[in-house]
Amino acid sequence: MIKYILLALGLGVFAGYLNGNYGVVVEGWVSGYLFNISLVVLVFVMGFVFGADKEAVAKLRRTGLKVLVFPFAVALGSIVGGLIGGVILGVNVVGSMAVSAGFGWYTLAGPLVGQLFGAELGALGFVVNFLRELLTILTVSLVVRIDRYVPIAFGGATTMDTTLPVIVRYCGSETLITAFSNGFTLSVIVPIAITTIATLPH
Amino acid sequence: MVDFTSLVNVIVPLVAGVLLGFAFRNRKRVDLGKVVFGAIVVLIFSMGFGIGANGELLAAMPRVGFSATVIVWLVLFFSVVFVLIARRIVRMK
Repeated sequence: MIKYILLALGLGVFAGYLNGNYGVVVEGWVSGYLFNISLVVLVFVMGFVFGADKEAVAKLRRTGLKVLVFPFAVALGSIVGGLIGGVILGVNVVGSMAVSAGFGWYTLAGPLVGQLFGAELGALGFVVNFLRELLTILTVSLVVRIDRYVPIAFGGATTMDTTLPVIVRYCGSETLITAFSNGFTLSVIVPIAITTIATLPH
Repeated sequence: MVDFTSLVNVIVPLVAGVLLGFAFRNRKRVDLGKVVFGAIVVLIFSMGFGIGANGELLAAMPRVGFSATVIVWLVLFFSVVFVLIARRIVRMK
């Protein structure tokens, strides 16, 4: 599975790069329509498998509201990671915390951090959060062996859409709602967390 | 990540899938593995396409790549540590 994912990713990046260089207007179609159609199909099928799985529904009933603990643990862990990273690298610590509070949502974190902290940290916000999404997809088959909830911690806000299919494929259909609610809650928190962190003296 | 305007793209098929799956839970099972596999490949390809076409992202890579790599691994490490601690506290299996 992972070799096909790598191949698809590599071919996609290459095709996108050529498209960007030669100005062929297919980007909107591929990263718009094709992306959304495949996402809708995947989420529907995974929802179907979850709904049809009697054990998964029973497990979710037992877990209940405990799933809400995940996003807050991921948020706290990410910001602490950003703080330590900022100290080690000698960059603006508050800015580094804001960067890590993107939780993988690079299209929002990059511009928002850039607006609040300047272009350099904006670029850092873009790349850190993009790498988070990429590493989640690339390492899922390995880190799931540590604990089946590790890929959800890795994915952050992306576990409600882009990384959801790969996570459910490797972690089991009973993790669908945990992953989705984690991604959804973190997506709501991202703009609040970044703007709140920006109010700290820096 | 999708933005909130296209959140409907995720919530509607998810809820529809869960409800239909629940309604048909006692019917004969069909193997959807190939559909999932094909759709994942298409999704990852189109995601890669968006990355390759994003000149801003590619241009920022060499400039902030090292710092970004250090920060992202620390972020991932502490996210996992905090999640595992939280799981123990709430005793989630």
